[in-house]
Amino acid sequence: MSTMNLSRRHFLRGSAVAGGGLVIGFSLSGCSSAVIPVENLPGGFTANAFLQITPDNLVRFYCPRDEMGQGITTGLGTLVAEELDVDPYTLDIVFAGVHSDYANPDMMVQATGGSNSLKAHYLPLRQAAANTLSVLLQAAAQDLGVAVQDIRTDAGHVIANGERHPYGQFVATAATLAAPEAAPLKADADFKYIGKTMPRLDSIAKSTGTAEFGIDIDIPGMVHAVVVRSPVAGATLVSVDTTAAEQMPGVHQVVEISSGLAVVADTYWQAKTAAAKLKPNWAEVPLAKVDSETVKADYDDAFATGDGVVEAEQGDLAVGFAQAEQVVDAEYWAPFLAHAPLEPMNAVLKLENGEADLWSGTQGPIGAQGLIERVTGIPAEKIRVHSTYLGGGFGRRGTLTHIVEIAEIAQAVNKPVHLLWSREDDMRHSVYRPASLMRIKAGIDGNGQITAWDAQRAGGNITPTTLRNMVPALLPNMPAGLASWLGDMTDSLFGSWMVDHSSIEGLYEDYDFPNRAVTHYSVDHEFPLTFWRAVGHSYTAFAIESMIDELAEKAGLDPIEFRLQNTRNKPRLHNVIKVAGDAMRNMQPAAGHTLGFASHHSFATDVAEIAEVSIEDGGIRVHKVTCVVDCGIAVNPDVVRAQMESAVMFGLTATLHGKIELQNGAVKESNFHDYPILRMNEAPEVDVIIVDSGTAPTGVGEPGLPPLAPAVANAVYRATGQRLRSLPLQLEA
Amino acid sequence: MIKFTLNDQEVTSTDDPSTPLLWVVRDTFKLKGSKYGCGAGLCGACTMHVDGQAIRTCVTPVSAVAGKAVTTIEGLGSPDDLHPLQAAWHAHSVPQCGYCQSGQIMSAAALLEQNPNPSAADIDAAMSGNLCRCGCYPRIKQAILSVAADENLAYEAKTRTEVNA
Repeated sequence: MSTMNLSRRHFLRGSAVAGGGLVIGFSLSGCSSAVIPVENLPGGFTANAFLQITPDNLVRFYCPRDEMGQGITTGLGTLVAEELDVDPYTLDIVFAGVHSDYANPDMMVQATGGSNSLKAHYLPLRQAAANTLSVLLQAAAQDLGVAVQDIRTDAGHVIANGERHPYGQFVATAATLAAPEAAPLKADADFKYIGKTMPRLDSIAKSTGTAEFGIDIDIPGMVHAVVVRSPVAGATLVSVDTTAAEQMPGVHQVVEISSGLAVVADTYWQAKTAAAKLKPNWAEVPLAKVDSETVKADYDDAFATGDGVVEAEQGDLAVGFAQAEQVVDAEYWAPFLAHAPLEPMNAVLKLENGEADLWSGTQGPIGAQGLIERVTGIPAEKIRVHSTYLGGGFGRRGTLTHIVEIAEIAQAVNKPVHLLWSREDDMRHSVYRPASLMRIKAGIDGNGQITAWDAQRAGGNITPTTLRNMVPALLPNMPAGLASWLGDMTDSLFGSWMVDHSSIEGLYEDYDFPNRAVTHYSVDHEFPLTFWRAVGHSYTAFAIESMIDELAEKAGLDPIEFRLQNTRNKPRLHNVIKVAGDAMRNMQPAAGHTLGFASHHSFATDVAEIAEVSIEDGGIRVHKVTCVVDCGIAVNPDVVRAQMESAVMFGLTATLHGKIELQNGAVKESNFHDYPILRMNEAPEVDVIIVDSGTAPTGVGEPGLPPLAPAVANAVYRATGQRLRSLPLQLEA
Repeated sequence: MIKFTLNDQEVTSTDDPSTPLLWVVRDTFKLKGSKYGCGAGLCGACTMHVDGQAIRTCVTPVSAVAGKAVTTIEGLGSPDDLHPLQAAWHAHSVPQCGYCQSGQIMSAAALLEQNPNPSAADIDAAMSGNLCRCGCYPRIKQAILSVAADENLAYEAKTRTEVNA
């Protein structure tokens, strides 16, 4: 990645460069800038919002999605390189600024998440590159006086009459020609890069300390800010004595902002040291009466009311249970979780002459722009967002309260500001994966066919908090009162009238249930919630896949056979179960080791996992996980493998260690000693089997996670006879 | 004033002597490759070498390195001159988000200095202080083993870098 040289940057009119049918042209706010923020490369040919080629044959790709480790620069870079016929390693990849052309086609806004980036861009980006190549070939034909059909290409060069010419030779002519809107795409059989294993495009930068993250941005004259917030979310400042903090070395001032108090100093360490001197008093909020124990009890009470909202109803449960020979009824628990990306929240903001420059790695650059606009009143087209690499995302960087903070601080101090949250700040003032209490009552007939599936879930809703944060960001001109009212309405809507699908996803979709219903009980403690890797699937799969093993045992069937005979109408999942089942039958676990199986469909991808487990010193030890995945065409099979490995490790942290607990409304955990992350000595071997179904790509960042916890729980049951229905898994003494 | 050598250059810090070395290196000397992750010596993202030993610099006051030799990831190698571990990291596509990798590589380099032929258990013992939230552990282990086994990966990866440049 090159670093953008701001002085050389200028803005092209969108209408002039948005050729090739690439304009998505959709903006929720209706006020995104009309100019595409690409750099003016000297003599360069700007084919569209994504691609520029210079006379010296530099091919720059403006990557529309955020890189948080999932490998999207490699994935999307491969698509572009394939159709443009350039070596992917020669691409100059730069993260795109904010513009509607960079919207995520699956989300309609410029955001990254939901494991959909490759799926959403697979055809549009290839089309953009194919159109670009088509113009280059026309230009080459014209300049060389040959017919287009007599030209070949190879690695960024045109080959005509046996001579190689770099693409850059033709950019001046290309700039005068009209691009086609639908140049033909390569046939799958002709792929040079798609489907091939190659090292990631960003691995050298990330192995040499040269990859730039938000925390690394350092601009002249900037000051450092540390924010002190209420231990209980949502409580406002009542009083504070700032004298001692203000007298500390290097401190410029202490600023009151909406989330608390910002200490501004010459260096981070000075700001942090001074912040420790502040002992503010905070207002009392209802959340302050909530402990982890009361959360669970409140969910139990919600079930007892019987007053839930029914969703996904099909058939007739009464009929299904009447047909059942055996019924199993069980309850499963999953706690609140933090994302804990290794890079804590941060940003750098410079406000000058009515314009703004923001540097940060977020999962929603357009939201960051909207929040700066909302706080400062600077219009969106004068707010430049410079996205950096993200030091982990997992859903955490879709919530941008730190951007509101830095906008408020920068306005008060009149200097560029670097804001950094500490690890403790991120652990305690984050947005969390909701806790969930799930009850499943299921009936099976004499043949082991599921006849009834009655699933219930009590807990907070994921979407309303997220919307409460997103509405002000995406609609920066909406008055604050109205935005807040809209937030209240979504709370109320999902609380009483309809089910927030993100909160129950995965609870009923995988199996052929002739009679089923999901009943949802919303319990809101005003504890902030959001998407966390695999979202609802992260806990629903634990319940459903544990229950499936329980049912298989009742039916006297092998868990694989039981799954196969109850997934006949889900062919891709069925096949993945079959492939994984065959692999499992051939496994020979070491003495004292047991195997557990689970499968799940999420983010349009099907995954099955087999965990090899033993009990060591009274604890659960996972030795190996075999992961079978069907994600359609694997654009880079090694990135698919890496994402499965990653999801296994992330899932195992949640399975063995993860829990965020509340005490008087405050998060008890603070750092990695009390919120442990899996370490190398606990990491299992991971074997990934990619099933190539040949269809267009589907998600890989999240789908590897949901089957992990139930696969381990099912293996632990085989090892010990203990059916553990509560996460994190803990053996009974 | 604290004097020490930073990647073979003599430097003088006028920061408060209690300031952790990490912040002196990042904010005073502007070397941003070493990362902040926990501030408590729990994650290893800030790992540098002090006189050849891997240490957690987020809990090491700059006063503690007076007169000593500090090496950061920038001193280990660069994109044009990769350390064998960095080349192996590329060849094995180790990094995901990449944030922890400077610390991982510094811990691994110190391990190989002391034990050029570590077993998997030796690697676990030396590397378990370095957290990776993306879960790159199997690849980190493979990459270290490949360097220990001298698979000549450094050469291949360098060729690739030259293509990039």
